[in-house]
Amino acid sequence: MILLTPLLILLAGAFVVLGFRNPRASTRAALFVGGLEIASLAVVIWNVHERGSLQVGHYMRADGLSSFFLLNIAFISGLVLVYASGYLRHVGEGRFSSPRWFYALVFMFLFTMISVCLSANLGLLWIMMEGTTLASALLVGFYNTEGAVEAGWKYLIVCTVGIAFALFGTIVLYLAAVKAGMNPGAALDWVSLMNAVPRIGLDPHLVKLAFVFVIVGYGTKIGFVPMHSWLPDAHAEAPTPISALLSAVLLNCAMYSVMRYDAIVSHAAGPAFPHTLLLIFGVMSMVVAGLLILVQRNLKRMMAYSSVEHMGIIAIGLGLGGPLGLFGALLHTFNHSVAKSLLFFSAGNVRHNFGTLRMDHISGMSRTMPQTSAALVVGGLAIVGLPPFSLFTSEFAILSGAFTQAHYFVATVFLIILSVVFGGFAYHFLRLLTGESSPTPVSSKLIPSEYTSMGIAGLCLIFFGMRIPHAFSVLLREAMTVLQ
Amino acid sequence: MGLVEIATGKVLTSFSVFLFLTVLLLVVARRISTCIVLFSAQSAIIAAEVFATGFQERLAEAYVVGALVLVIKVAVIPRAFFGLANRLKTSHDVKASTTPTQSVFIAAAMIYLSYAAVHSYGQSVHVPEDALAAAVALILTGSFLMVSRNKALMQMLGLLVLENGIFLAALTTTFGMPLIIEIGVFFDILIGLLLMGIFTFRIRDTFDHLDVSKLRRLRG
Repeated sequence: MILLTPLLILLAGAFVVLGFRNPRASTRAALFVGGLEIASLAVVIWNVHERGSLQVGHYMRADGLSSFFLLNIAFISGLVLVYASGYLRHVGEGRFSSPRWFYALVFMFLFTMISVCLSANLGLLWIMMEGTTLASALLVGFYNTEGAVEAGWKYLIVCTVGIAFALFGTIVLYLAAVKAGMNPGAALDWVSLMNAVPRIGLDPHLVKLAFVFVIVGYGTKIGFVPMHSWLPDAHAEAPTPISALLSAVLLNCAMYSVMRYDAIVSHAAGPAFPHTLLLIFGVMSMVVAGLLILVQRNLKRMMAYSSVEHMGIIAIGLGLGGPLGLFGALLHTFNHSVAKSLLFFSAGNVRHNFGTLRMDHISGMSRTMPQTSAALVVGGLAIVGLPPFSLFTSEFAILSGAFTQAHYFVATVFLIILSVVFGGFAYHFLRLLTGESSPTPVSSKLIPSEYTSMGIAGLCLIFFGMRIPHAFSVLLREAMTVLQ
Repeated sequence: MGLVEIATGKVLTSFSVFLFLTVLLLVVARRISTCIVLFSAQSAIIAAEVFATGFQERLAEAYVVGALVLVIKVAVIPRAFFGLANRLKTSHDVKASTTPTQSVFIAAAMIYLSYAAVHSYGQSVHVPEDALAAAVALILTGSFLMVSRNKALMQMLGLLVLENGIFLAALTTTFGMPLIIEIGVFFDILIGLLLMGIFTFRIRDTFDHLDVSKLRRLRG
């Protein structure tokens, strides 16, 4: 029952906010539902920590790994809801594009993402991953402009096709499990599969084939190069709170699915094959996205490519495996989410005040919008991985993992791309922040919803950079034991 | 041997030929309505195969899945497509970027490729090679239709053909996945099509056409 509460709250919440036609009332209702949802997720995380794992029926289950990602969802969704409460003040009433529809769709989106983390069955996991696309497509096209419609259509088509390949991979794994003598009813159950890996591994060809399709399929949602074409469009055209949700939560959920499959395939057919694939996708994503960051002109597109780059970093951490790589990868999912939310929130302020995101049209922001500029600087320094911010810790762990395992090629590329990205961010941000102050912002001050969400994100980045809180590292270790 | 047994055997041995036929017809079709009818026929063939498999393997679940295919893919989706095409008041042309001759050659190459791809796996998993090849051919054709037809509606149809292929692959190799999962997949497809329908209206209203090859403002 504990597992079902967050889902029920979100479902009910989606209907409740639809009932409020007044934007202010719907915002208040949404914040209330969001608070309830975070509390219920905290209860789930606490119970998983106490009992090791929770199971409801055959299809829902939470263990250490799920609860680590639930923590991520709870934290980011809280920030996003607070930020959105101020951001939506300019949105009028339209078909599927009024504040109440916004919140209802956000709750459906969160519902599907939480269900992904709570799925015990790989078939249900697929259904819910496809659900994330469906729930967020209208949010990507929320503004109904030419760009938004194009981005929404592209998102829907590219991700649905990509996910179809993941379905094929799921079927191939199911076939391998049934052939290995598993009961068809349990052949998609993750725990049963993990218990039966020695038998499944007798014929490793099918398992490997399954992993190829799964990594291409879910990799489309993660934004691995070359399946990333939807990602910059969707991130740039969606309303800012949605960009933050896509980048900070959705990509992680897709990564979570790949982790589940990686665990099965590594145990059944040996870690060499899946880990090499992850390294290849990771390095490709890092290199291509890192170089594309240099030539971007739109602030949010640049951040979207940075997300692709960071997903590459996480994939490299997973691909290296071992305690260091895994620790770095999991920690990085959380750190990247916090830093990217802060950056997207700042970009949202830029858009509100200047009406554009073109970086070549804006300059001298540090004088006209000092608070937003400070947030951009903190987020920027964090995202390129400088100490004392938390991303330094996780990137350093992954890099040391690469050196201890003598993956010198990967380590070299990793370092080169990090410096390229540093250069890119420094170049773009210096031009934004310094120089002649050209367009004048609508208002230079932050409103409470903005400084609350951005302040919490910024403090969290610094705090986690100094030391990882004990409770957090306990959760992280529990997540790692599930995978090992 | 009863009449039903004979019919079942015939369906199971010959359905892949008919599926290859729909593949070839789909790639040469010029009108959207033809493609919709072909998709409906293709789904009907697959439904027949589901029933035949269910009968032969004595699987009660297969009848439910077969009925779902009949209702959703043979009746509801094609009807919805016709309704959508009418309400969008769009031209009937599929806006192909390859000529019919090229398309036939490409389709033939894809069928050959499917046989080559499944050759090694077909023997190891003990399934009829034709059936698996038909499934892969459907997946490839669906992808081909999506990249070579510029009408938004045809991209949706290509996606459905691709999904038919995946469904068929699951059916031939494992007699389908657990029922609840199949139902979830059907549900996702329906919602997905509904959303794509909403987006086609938005594309028409914002751009005044349905040619997705002209949607290229977002680049780089």
